[in-house]
Amino acid sequence: MKKKIIVVLFAIVICLCTVIPAFAANDGYAAEYSRVNDMADILTEDEEESLRTTLDEISLRQNVDVTIATVNDLNGYNTVSECADAIYELCNYGYGDSKDGILLLISMDEHDWAVSTCGFGITAFTDAGIEYIGGQIKSDLSDGKYAEAFNTYAGLCDEFITQAKNGSPYDSGHLPRKPLSVVWIPVSIAIGFILALIVVGVMKGKLKTVHSRPEADSYIRKGSFDVTESSDLFLYHTLTRTKKEKKENAQSSTHTSSSGTTHGGGSGKF
Amino acid sequence: MQTLQEYKCPCCGGAIAFDSTLQKMKCPFCDTEFDMETLAGYDAGLQEEKDNMEWNTSAGSRWQDGESDGLRSYVCKSCGGEIVGDANTAATSCPFCGNPVVMMEQFTGTLKPDLVIPFKLDKKAAKTGLQKHLTGKRLLPKIFKDQNHIDEIKGVYVPFWLFDTDADASVRYRTTKVRVWEDDDYKYTETSYFLVRRGGNIGFEHVPVDGSGKMPDDLMESIEPYDFADAVDFKTAYLAGYLADKYDVDASKSVERANARVKKSTEEAFASTVQGYDSVITENSSIRLHNGKAMYAMYPVWLLNTTWNGNKYTFAMNGQTGKFVGDLPVDKKAAARLRFILTVALGAATYGIAWLLHIIGIL
Repeated sequence: MKKKIIVVLFAIVICLCTVIPAFAANDGYAAEYSRVNDMADILTEDEEESLRTTLDEISLRQNVDVTIATVNDLNGYNTVSECADAIYELCNYGYGDSKDGILLLISMDEHDWAVSTCGFGITAFTDAGIEYIGGQIKSDLSDGKYAEAFNTYAGLCDEFITQAKNGSPYDSGHLPRKPLSVVWIPVSIAIGFILALIVVGVMKGKLKTVHSRPEADSYIRKGSFDVTESSDLFLYHTLTRTKKEKKENAQSSTHTSSSGTTHGGGSGKF
Repeated sequence: MQTLQEYKCPCCGGAIAFDSTLQKMKCPFCDTEFDMETLAGYDAGLQEEKDNMEWNTSAGSRWQDGESDGLRSYVCKSCGGEIVGDANTAATSCPFCGNPVVMMEQFTGTLKPDLVIPFKLDKKAAKTGLQKHLTGKRLLPKIFKDQNHIDEIKGVYVPFWLFDTDADASVRYRTTKVRVWEDDDYKYTETSYFLVRRGGNIGFEHVPVDGSGKMPDDLMESIEPYDFADAVDFKTAYLAGYLADKYDVDASKSVERANARVKKSTEEAFASTVQGYDSVITENSSIRLHNGKAMYAMYPVWLLNTTWNGNKYTFAMNGQTGKFVGDLPVDKKAAARLRFILTVALGAATYGIAWLLHIIGIL
C-alpha cells in the first residue's frame, strides 16, 4: 500500500516537472513524457533542449528509447535501480510491446547513477556494457559536467544499439575500443631505441672482420665421415596438464520490477 | 621380498633398485619405472673412454747444404720480429709493426718448410682489396681512409703447421620429444626422454695453425680457408720479392689449437645426425685421434700495418683467394648521431604501426 502511494506521488512530481512531451509519434511509442526528465534541475534550458533533440533523433532512428532522468533523492525507493525501473515504467518509455529502451538515472543526494533497460535494451546493454558506459561518464559526472556526461551517454547508446543490431552486442572482452593508451609513446621510443641500437650494432659489426674460427669444417676429408654406431634408446616420459581458462558468454542479468516488467540494468556511484 | 641391485636413475640421478615383484627397475625417489633392457643399455653408454689426442708432430726437414745461402734474415729492432727475405730484398720495413728494418745478416734457419702455396694475387690486387674493404662502411672515420699508407702493403709468407688426422668419436646425447594436445578442460604436455648414442670416424686434412707468435691467430683464421690443391714443394725461389716469417711456435705447441678445432667439428658432424628431437644436449663426447701427422708450410698473406689515433690496425689478405680482413675504428660521434636519428625515426614508425594495429583491432 505504501509503495502504491509513493508511485502515485512520484508520478505527480514527474508530471509537474515535465514541461514538453516528446512529440515522436512513431509506431508503438507512447510519447507521453520528454526523453529528458531533469527533475533535479542540473541542466540549463539550452543544454536540456539540445540533449532532447539528440535523444529524439537517436531514438527515432534506432526505434529504441534512449532517455535520461535526474532526481534529487530516491523518493522513498530503496535502491537507485528500483527508482530507475519505476521512472521507466511511469513515463511509459520503450518502443513496441517489449518496451525497447534504456534510461539513465542520476540521483544527486547520494551521487548515484543507475541504468534501467527493457526489451531490446536488455540485449543491447549487457552488464559489462553498462559498467563500461558508467566508467565513461563517471568522471564528467563527478566534475559536475552533466551535459558532457549525458552527451557521451547518448553517443555510446547509439553505438551500442547499432552494434547489437549487427548481431554481437558489446560485452566483456568485446567492448568499444578506447583510444590508444599514452603508454605507447614511451614504449615506442624504447622500441625505437632498441632497434637503433641493433642497427648501429650491425653497422659496427661490419667494421670488425677478424674472428677466430672454432671449427675446422673446411678441412674434413671428403667422404671420410662414417657413422658406425647409432642407437636411440627411450628412457621414460613425463606428463603434465594445465587447466584451460573458459570463455564466458555474453550475458545481461535481469530482474522483475514491482509491476511485473522485466528490466536489465546496473548502477554505481560518481 | 625384494632383491636390490644399484643403478643410477636416468631421471633424477638417485640410486635405483630392481623391484622383483614388479619385475622392473623402479626409482624410490621419483617413482619412475624402467625396463631392465632400457637401464642396461643406459648403463653401457656410461662406460665411455676418454679423449685421446696424440700426434706425430715431426714436421719440416733439414736445409740442404748451400740451400739457404741466398736468404737473409732481417731483425726489427722495434718489435724484435725476425723475418726472412732473399738476398736481393732491399731495406724494408717490418710487416708486424711498420718500423724500418735495418739489420741484415745471413739466414740461419732451423727447419725447411715442406710445402708452399705461392702468391696468386699481386700487390695491385691487394691495394684494390684494401680500397674495397674501406668502402661501404658508414661508421668508419673518413679521415682514416685518407691517412692510410697503402703503398706499404707487403707480401709475407706466414709459417703454418698443417695437421692431418683421423678421429674416432663416440658421443652420448640426452634428447627429448615433446607432444602437446588438449581436450575441453586441460592442456597436456608429454615429454619423452631418450639416450642417443652415435659413434664412427671422420678424417681431417691440412688443418692449419699459424706458427708465428707475432701473427695474431684470429687474424690468420679469418683469412682461411686456403686451397691446398695449389701447394707445391718448397723452393727458396718462391721467396723472391716477398718476405717470410720464421716460425717461433713449434708444432707440438700449435697442436692444441688444431685439437680444439677438430674436436668441435667432429662433435658438430655427429650432432647433425641426431634428428627428430625437440631438444638435444650432449652429455659426453670422447674423441680419439690416430694417424695424426704435421707438415710445415708457407702460406701467402698480404699484410698492412697502420697506426691511427694511437691504436694499431692490421689488415691481412689471403694471397691465394683474395679474402680481405682487418678490424676498423668506429667514428663514435657518427655512431651516436645515427643512433639518435634512428631512435626518433624508428620510434615514430613504431607508434604509427601501433595506431594502425589499434584501428584494425589487434591492439
